[in-house]
Formats: sequence, C-alpha cells, structure tokens
Amino acid sequence: MRTDIVGRPMPRRDGLLRASGQVVYGVDFKVPGMLWGKIVRSEHPRARILRIDASRALSLPGVKAVVTGRDAPDGLYGARLWDEPILAKDRVRYVGEPVALVAAVDEDTASEAAQRIEVEYEPLPALFSPFEALREDAPLIHPDLGSYFHREFDCHPVPGTNIASHIKIRKGDIAAGFAQADLVHEDTYQTHPVHCAYIEPHAAVARWEPNGRLTVWSSTQCPFLVRRQLAVALKMPVSRIRVLATAVGGGYGGKALMKIEGACALLARAAGRPVKLVFTRSEEFIGTNTRHAFSIDIKTGAKKDGTLVACEARLVVDNGAYTDAGDGVCWEATIGATGPYVIPHQKVDGLLVYTNKIPGGPFRGFGWPQVHWAFEQNVDALAHRLGIDPLEIRLKNAVEEGSLSSTGEALHSVGLKACLRAAADAIGWDKRERQPNRGYGISVVNKLSIPYTSSSAFVKVNEDGTIHLLCSAVDLGQGSDNAMIQIAAEELGVRAEDVDLIPADTDTTPFDDGARSSRLTFHMGNAVRKAAAEARQEILRRAESVLEVAAQDLELRNGRISVVGQPGPFLSLAELVMRSHWLHGGPILARGSHVDEDIVAMDPETGQSPRPAAYFEYGAQAAQVEVDPETGQVTVLRMSSAHDCGRAINPLAVEGQIEGGAATGLGFALMEEVQIEEGRVTNPNFMNYCLPTSLDMPPLATTIVEGYPHREGPFGAKGVGEASCIGIPAAIGNAVYDAVGVRITRTPITWERVLDALERKKST
Amino acid sequence: MALDTVQKLSVTFTLNGESVQALVEPRTLLLDYLRNHVEVTSARRGCESGQCGACTVLLDGLAVHSCSVLLVTCRDRSVTTIEAADQDPQLRQLQGAFVDRGAIQCGYCTPGIILSAKALLSEKPQPSDMDIKIALAGNICRCTGYYKIIEAIQDVAKRSVAPGAAGEAAR
Repeated sequence: MRTDIVGRPMPRRDGLLRASGQVVYGVDFKVPGMLWGKIVRSEHPRARILRIDASRALSLPGVKAVVTGRDAPDGLYGARLWDEPILAKDRVRYVGEPVALVAAVDEDTASEAAQRIEVEYEPLPALFSPFEALREDAPLIHPDLGSYFHREFDCHPVPGTNIASHIKIRKGDIAAGFAQADLVHEDTYQTHPVHCAYIEPHAAVARWEPNGRLTVWSSTQCPFLVRRQLAVALKMPVSRIRVLATAVGGGYGGKALMKIEGACALLARAAGRPVKLVFTRSEEFIGTNTRHAFSIDIKTGAKKDGTLVACEARLVVDNGAYTDAGDGVCWEATIGATGPYVIPHQKVDGLLVYTNKIPGGPFRGFGWPQVHWAFEQNVDALAHRLGIDPLEIRLKNAVEEGSLSSTGEALHSVGLKACLRAAADAIGWDKRERQPNRGYGISVVNKLSIPYTSSSAFVKVNEDGTIHLLCSAVDLGQGSDNAMIQIAAEELGVRAEDVDLIPADTDTTPFDDGARSSRLTFHMGNAVRKAAAEARQEILRRAESVLEVAAQDLELRNGRISVVGQPGPFLSLAELVMRSHWLHGGPILARGSHVDEDIVAMDPETGQSPRPAAYFEYGAQAAQVEVDPETGQVTVLRMSSAHDCGRAINPLAVEGQIEGGAATGLGFALMEEVQIEEGRVTNPNFMNYCLPTSLDMPPLATTIVEGYPHREGPFGAKGVGEASCIGIPAAIGNAVYDAVGVRITRTPITWERVLDALERKKST
Repeated sequence: MALDTVQKLSVTFTLNGESVQALVEPRTLLLDYLRNHVEVTSARRGCESGQCGACTVLLDGLAVHSCSVLLVTCRDRSVTTIEAADQDPQLRQLQGAFVDRGAIQCGYCTPGIILSAKALLSEKPQPSDMDIKIALAGNICRCTGYYKIIEAIQDVAKRSVAPGAAGEAAR
C-alpha cells in the first residue's frame, strides 16, 4: 500500500526539547507544599515482623508522617496473580521489601528519619533456590496462595506448593517423536538476573484532593495499569484515582507495573500533603525487579538430515518473593521454549517458583531471551553433531506462513527465513573463513505480544485545523509518539506536523493497556487509525453542506478538502471546522479502539490454542567473536540484526529499537549481573553492575525486513521493541562454541566460565 | 531544623556565563545545587556515584560528573550546562544532529552526552569514532546502543571542517 507519511523516517517530534533538558521527567516533577518520602526496607529474606518503633523518627523535626503495614489497607495487587501488598503486614519475604514509610520536609530529613525507624524481626528459614522451594518439605512462602485472585487465562497457581504458576504444552506424541529421531541432544541451560537499569529512577508524586480523590504523577509506562493496581491495593474505585504520566527516562518494562505509586499515595494520605518519592539507585537494585533467572532442561531430537521431530523442555523460573509479571513471563516462555520451528512432537512444562529474593519482573524480551539462550544453543549443538551448517538447520525448520506453532496456531505474517538470510548475509556467513579463536554464531528470534489487551483513542479536530490525538500511549523513548502521529496523519489526510499527542491522563485520555509487550504500534496504532478514519468521514460529511458536494466525492489531503480528482478550489480544514462549529455545533471528536477479538485461551492441560496472542515479531541475529584462549575473554567483533516488524511505520525509530536492543542483549550475554547472595543483592550500583558503554558496542548491521505485513496490523505493522534483544546472547554463545569448541550453558559468558570450560575440554 | 546546623559557605562561580553567588553547606554537590537551588534540571541524577553520566556538566570546559563535584570546588570556575546552547552554536548543532539522526530515545542521558561531545570537539575537532567512544565512556545510554549518537557527533565534526582543512581531514 502506497503511503505518504507512514514509512518515512521521522525524527522525534520532541527531540529538541529532550536534547535541551527541558522535558519534565518524574524526577523533575514538583507540586507546591510537597514533602519527600522514604521507604524503610526489610533486611531479612524471610521473617516475621514483631514490632516497629517509629518514635525516634517522629521526634525528628520536619518529620510529618510514618506509615507501617498496620496502617495500610490490606489489598493485594499484581498483574495476573495478586499476591503483593504495598507494605508488608506481619511478614517479609525478601531483602528490600517495604516495611515502613516516612514523609518529611526534605529528602535528607526523610532519609535520616527512615534510619531511625526500628523494626524487630523474627528471622525464618528462607528459600534462595527454586529447586529448594520445589521440595515437598519446603516451607510455603505464600501459605495463602489458594485464596489469591488470579487470571485463569495465563496463570495456573498450585496451592499448597511454592508454584505460582504451571503452564504446559503437550503437542503430538512426545515418546513417538523421540523414537523417530536419529540424534537427540540434551542439556541444561541457565540464565541469571539482570536489571532494566533505566537511567531515570522510579519517581512519583501523590496528592489527595480536597474531594477525596487521589492524583498521582508518575514516570510510568502504563498509567491505566498503575491506576488499576492502585485501586486494588488501596481498595478504592478507579474513578477516584487520576494517574498522569510524566516523561519517562527509560523503562524497558521496569516501569510497567506499580512500584512506587502505592507507597507514595499512602504517605500523602497520612501526611495530608503531597509527597514525592524517588528511588535511589541502590533501591532500584534491591526493591524493584530483575529479569527472571531460568533453569532450562531441554532435549531436542532430529533426523539425520536435520529435520527436528521432537522437543521436550522443563523451565524452572525463579519468581522471587512476589509474582509481579512472573506469570506472564512463564506463560510466554513456555509457549516459546521450543523455538519458532516446525516440531510435531512437543512437551514443555513451565514452573514459576517462589523464592525469598527480589521479585522477577518485566524486562524487554519477557522470558524469550532466556528460552532462546537454551533452545538456540541446543539446536546449534545438534547441527554441529549432525555436521549441518547452523544456518541451514534453522532455515530447514523455521516456521513460515501457515506453519503450526507450539500451541497449534497456524501462523501468519512470518518473515523468519528472510530475517535469517538477511542477518547471515550482513555478517558474511557464507563467506566466513576459519580463523583461530574466532567464530560465528546465529540465532532466530520470535516473540508474541501479550493477549487480552485493549487500546482506545480519540481524535479531536481543533478550530485551526490541527489535530489533537488523545491516547494513553506513553513514549518512553521507543518512538510511539511519532508512530501514532504518522498513522493518524496518513489516515486522516493531514500533515504530520499538524498532529499533536496529548500526554496520558487517566481523567481525559482514553483507556489503554500500556507501553509494554511491543504492543503500541499494533494495538494503539489500530485504535488511532480507526479514530482517524472516523474523523475523516465526519469532516467530509460536514464539508458536504459547506461545499454542496456529496461527501463521497470529497477528499482530504494535506489538511485541505477538495473535490476528488480536481486540482482545486480547496477548503482548508481550519475553515471547515470554524464554519462547522457555527453551522452544526462541535466538537469533531472521533473514537477508535482495538481489541484482540479471536484470542482463545490455551487448554490448561495441552497448551493448545488456535490463537493465544495477536501476533509474533520475528528476527534473526548473528555475531562474530574472538576468544582469547589464555584469558577466556570474549570480544564481540561485530553483530547483525534483522527484524520483521510487518511494516516499519518510522524506519528511523525501528533502527533505533534494533540498535538499542542489541546493546541490551550484549549486556545480558557478557557483562551485567545482579549478584545475589543469601537473598541479598551485593552489587546495587553502577560501579559493580556493569552496563554496556560506548566502548563495548561492536559494529552492528541492521536490516528491516519488510514484505510480511500482518493483515490486522495498521498498514501491516507489528512491534519490534523487544525482538531486538532476544537472540543476541544465544548468537554470542554459539559464536563462542564455533571459535573455541566449548559450550557455555550459563549466562553471563564471563571469562572465568570460558576459561573453566577450556580447561575442562583440555583435560578430557 | 536539626540537620540544618552546619555553617554555610559562600561560593561564587560562573554558570552559563552569568555570575552566581551561592551560600551552601560544605557537603553540597554541584548537581544538587543546580537542580534544587537554581532549577537547572537538565543535569540529571541517575546513579549518585559518578558512573552513569546523566549529570555531566562542563567545568572550565572539561566534562565532569556533577554528582561527584562539591560545589565549593567550583569557586571562581566556570560551569556550563546544556542551557548554554542558547549562546553556543556548536551545542545547538549537536542538539540538531542528535534529533535528526535519531540519537535520542528517552533523552534522559542526552544533555550530558552532548556536553561530553562538546568537550571532546573543543579538544579534538576531528575525532575518530574511537575518540568519540572514549569520550563517551562515562555516559551511559541504555536506549540507543550509541550508534546513532556517534553518527550525530561525526556529523557535527564534519560540518565544522574549515574549507581549507577539508583536504587535510580526508588524507
């Protein structure tokens, strides 16, 4: 489909504002009379709270309020499984869990007061490994699991155990499948916790209005989700809460769910004044989320010619102390555990297991980098053992249009093979030469977008002919503002510069499920497109009486209305709107929404569903590495990344997503690690938690693969934000094997692990 | 206020070309002074430990992490923040190039990175990509992977090649 504005590279509308430092992020936001809050956090991984004495804090001049679990409502919140309180009541389940809150006239006083709050605990035996927690005699981290609210669609808790969710795939006949295999490769792969590490920490301001309503300004990706979680936790109706999104200084999933807003609201209510809370970097590391650590047993069977016939996997997902997004991660990872391959016989169990550690949460990729790390190395190992080129085995088995997925869905909009070829070509796969200690690796990429979500949008036409787009899409840097502007302008027939986005405000902008799961382009894009189409119809209908020409004979282009096929005269949109106000009354306000209508829940026993989610993003990523055999140091020489996003609405932003995702993937593969000992994070700062810097990024070749548009996507588009990080770790792992013949099964690929593997290889 | 008993010190320094007289506690950090006393919020707090670079400003033309600089050490020195772009064509050019190249995603790190780039270009008007990478090693960007940032800085560096020096640079 030919388009004028969609598909054009478009620099950020608010770029200069951001480059000038004039954007108001959560950390910058202020209201008059505001106090500062601080959180007192648990020092024990599992303990009973015996006593909290705040008298020394309250005697400090400037301290205005202290809140403990006893003073807080007992609502539990979560995404699908609601198991988390804002403040611990009688027990704590991880080091870092909030136990008390304090508000004071400034940040220093609040910090001092927090240190003066004395909490007496009775420590209890804690569980640090999901395998310990799975033992029958393990203490229960959530004895009340059976009474918690949960969404049946994608979360299956097992009350009386530490299993927060158990998701299953049973496809074909697994025994018969392995019986057909000429070769079976089996291994165990593990991944470690990393942090989203957005540079702006969580920040929020809460204010209770005189009429009893609550207003919260937050650096959040999902204002409506936060509002719902606030309502549940505070036990009040959503309509009594207003959430406004500030600019967000990076999120990557970490600012999707409520983290800071509940505490802020409780403090503001107790103090009777607005309160601001900003996490320190150390609080980010101990009190928010990590990417879930996985342990994956996987066994894949293939014919001699490389045809995959069976795959069995068991994922043990370390949930941490509360479920947060763990249920969604476990559900998606179980679907994705066997890769985007045609495999007739599959058996997968995904177990989400509580431990007394910082909760796992949403982070770009949402379980998929972990399962790719396992199956993409497993498939690679099979290829090497069968003497088949790693690219060939992937091309041979990769899904394409109409292939059946692990859940039995007939897939649509599948550019996987084209991505594999593009990523391979970009890194020179076919011309690669064997050089000592150097190697190449490749990985497929796929990811679905969470189901059962909804987006809605209003298009409002102003008296000067400009357009206000009211939707609650939060642009946390990924570029959704431009995508929405381009879609609206294209559909309406106005110039992109005449469309503006109104920042998300739950009182005025319509419902949306948030900037997460790479969903905005597809879901909100559709809602915006429908609203824009309706606005266009309404404009032309109103123009009928002004121009005395039937609406179907009129068109709107570049903000001007004219008779189809005639060069002029034009009626400007501004003139029409003004005249129309006097003639017909206003406003010209159109609405649009998008919901995934034909989603079917997976069968809880077999995991089969004709459509568990709206779409899959696809991609392929490759790396060339050099390994120093003396030190074990892995240097990534270059990478390539090719992605099928259906159609790139704004290629500049899509490239940005691909490049940024590559850095996220590289950090996970090689550098970053939240180190946890006995439930305690031991490196809660950027000194000891190493993020990729400019010096760490190797050259990267990016390819946007078009030609596989999604029939339901706006102009064929799908998301791309998460796919871009998913295959990099496995590609690097496979390249290390290609270079020096050792398989690193545990992330991160540190020099110690490589050296250790090289030593073991030498000794055998 | 119990905590407010420390004797304050007077510090005079230049901020974006204007003289500022501050009365602060000895422990006051340049970053906190900028954000909390004079409302210069373009310098941002990210890690509080001199690692992320979101708080980067220029001190006598050198890029520093303002979260790790005591205000009293700025006495009689010159502090430049991104607000100086109003008077500095090169900062404006950098901002424009960052926008055009798509080098800005969330933008939280951007003012600091542009100031680090400015310090580099002052010293080395025609940097190599490696020079840029080294100059930015103290500025973390979690969004972009740095690729478009490096391109944007090169755009400005190339634009500033004087006509006579073009051949020099090409050689």
